[in-house]
Amino acid sequence: MRYLMMQKAGGAEPDAKLYADMAAFVEELTASGVLLATGGLDPDGFKMTSAGDEITVTDGPFTEAKEAIGGFALIEVRSREEAIELGRRFRRIVGDGESLIHQVYGP
Amino acid sequence: MTDLPATVGAVWKQESARIVGGLLRLVHDVGLAEELAQDALVAALEQWPASGIPDNPGAWLTTVARRRAVDHIRRERHAPDPAPLPEPAEDDVLRLMFISCHPVLPAEARVALTLRVVAGLSHAEIARAHLVGERVIAQRIAAAKRTLAESGVGYAPSAQLSSVLEVVYLIFNEGYAATSGTGLIRADLCLEALRLGRMLAVLAPGQAEVHGLVALMEIQQSRSAARTGPAGEPVPLHEQNRGRWDQLLIRRGFAAMLRAREVGGPAGPYVLQAAIAVCHTAEQTDWVRVGTLYQALERLLPTPVVRLNRAVAVAFAHGPQAGLDLLDELRADPQMASYHLLPGVRADLLVRLGRLPEARREFERAASLAGNAAEREFLLRRAAGVDVPEERGRLLGAAVESFLAPLGPATARAYGQTLSRVARLAGERLLLTDLDPARLAEIFAVAWPGVSPRTWNRHVAAVRSFAAWAGAPSLAAELRPRPVTAVPVVPAVAAPVPDSALRERALWCLLRDSAAKVGAVLALNVEHLNLAERRTHDASIVWGLETAALLPQLIDGRARGPLFLSDRRPGPGRPPAPADLCPETGRRRLSYERAAYLCKRATGHTLRRWVSRADMARTP
Repeated sequence: MRYLMMQKAGGAEPDAKLYADMAAFVEELTASGVLLATGGLDPDGFKMTSAGDEITVTDGPFTEAKEAIGGFALIEVRSREEAIELGRRFRRIVGDGESLIHQVYGP
Repeated sequence: MTDLPATVGAVWKQESARIVGGLLRLVHDVGLAEELAQDALVAALEQWPASGIPDNPGAWLTTVARRRAVDHIRRERHAPDPAPLPEPAEDDVLRLMFISCHPVLPAEARVALTLRVVAGLSHAEIARAHLVGERVIAQRIAAAKRTLAESGVGYAPSAQLSSVLEVVYLIFNEGYAATSGTGLIRADLCLEALRLGRMLAVLAPGQAEVHGLVALMEIQQSRSAARTGPAGEPVPLHEQNRGRWDQLLIRRGFAAMLRAREVGGPAGPYVLQAAIAVCHTAEQTDWVRVGTLYQALERLLPTPVVRLNRAVAVAFAHGPQAGLDLLDELRADPQMASYHLLPGVRADLLVRLGRLPEARREFERAASLAGNAAEREFLLRRAAGVDVPEERGRLLGAAVESFLAPLGPATARAYGQTLSRVARLAGERLLLTDLDPARLAEIFAVAWPGVSPRTWNRHVAAVRSFAAWAGAPSLAAELRPRPVTAVPVVPAVAAPVPDSALRERALWCLLRDSAAKVGAVLALNVEHLNLAERRTHDASIVWGLETAALLPQLIDGRARGPLFLSDRRPGPGRPPAPADLCPETGRRRLSYERAAYLCKRATGHTLRRWVSRADMARTP
């Protein structure tokens, strides 16, 4: 089953150790096939709204900086518990902060 | 609010291979290593509820398991301070895989043990995936550990990478072959195989075949959502909705393929199969390339499936006639005689060539050879779908029946055996006038290669008699009787096989060739044999040319069930276990006692002595 892990922005400023630890973690998960896709998100972004026939585009940012999603990872695991375990390892590397994790249905 | 046992289970699945592999380095026994690791797991379940889940659960389990191993070694050696222990190393997991996939184990034991100790699955999970009871799996794994301990495989490094690849692909196919119903559970096996494959690719990055296997599995798995329809029916590759293919997996497959190419070297069977799978991901399949790849694969793996697939590719690349020409070469191969897909594919090509009456007969012939009911029904539907007017004239099957009807029971049975086999191979609905002497001779060569002259002559006599009755005596013109004078059937070797009945000769030959245990040989089933490669599918028993010549006759078109059968059907008093009963003849498996008696009578030696003589004959 697949889970989407979203990391909220903010937290400690990344240092050299965090980069090295994170690189090793990403490499391990990619090789074992757990990590399907990952990336950081531009905090600005833009919003599209449809109402009736009209579609509007509004430029961001929209939320408080610490509520914005700063990055994501799509992972393939056997169970919810495995997702939690991987989340635990991730949070230990990045330090204080918050992740939101949702199961992805299909395909 | 996390579920503790589930968390421990999740940690275990991620860490077990490293933990058991590290312990194996210390204790040199898979069974013991796994028990020690399990002890650590039990300790975790006892202590974590009170102490909380440790910061690094994997390291915690490793430390506790290692401590148990040290205690164990200390007890064994009665020494307070054992020699310094080796540190965990990179290749621990790889060695563990080599041992759990060791060729001394039968295939199903390798699969179960690998899922257990490398993938970290529980007995219950493995049992569910194989649709058998938990007990069966527990016993299978226990037996495998015992075999490993007894055979002294221990911790010896081995170079059997191909054996590991085979087990991983076997696990994948067990999951992939299930298409509906319980398929949902079994799909997990595909994911486990993918995990094992990727793990192997990290551990042995210099092996092109490992990357080839990963690429093959990723690309096949990418189609898993598209390969069954709404009602669970299989959807052929070229009718699948490409939108449902998983692009992530395809991309990973391509990446693995590139790694295989970087390693270089001559392409092995997995790289070739992956390359074929890659061709099929293109919008327009390059059939010429597929045909070339199958040709290369056929040189490495000349199995009926590969050869047939090559003919299909050639038919797409160079037209149906070219494919048909290749198939006609296969038709002369005794191995292919009862393979229903051969006439099935032939029928398809004949339809494309507009040779409809022949196509219809081939579909019907394929149906009569098909082993499973669903397939048979499908082929009969295809046959009925070929739009040809009902042919006038006498059909072979019907003619044989009316020829046999007035004969006495003994003659009818003897002639019937010959004629029904001819009719099945030629096609029951073949017009009698379309059967020619050359085709009949070809059928004879395929159906009864290397039989004794006496048996051959019996078959010839039956067909001659039938041909004369049908008013076409020239039909049997190319079938010559053979001289019955003492033709040595067996080349002179140190342990010549005495001239006796076919079954006995096959048994003595196989025992002599393989030097395998008598029990193991008697336990063989038809479906265990890989006739093309002269070995069992798990490679535990290998045989020579002489045995190879006898086996097709012994099998005589059977698709499954015990290889060596007793002469009689079992009486009502003592019904044999289902596994010892041939589903096609209703006869039971040849027992050890009976085999021993036959051996004594034919060779003058006890079975044990015959086998040890065989051993001597093999070693120069």
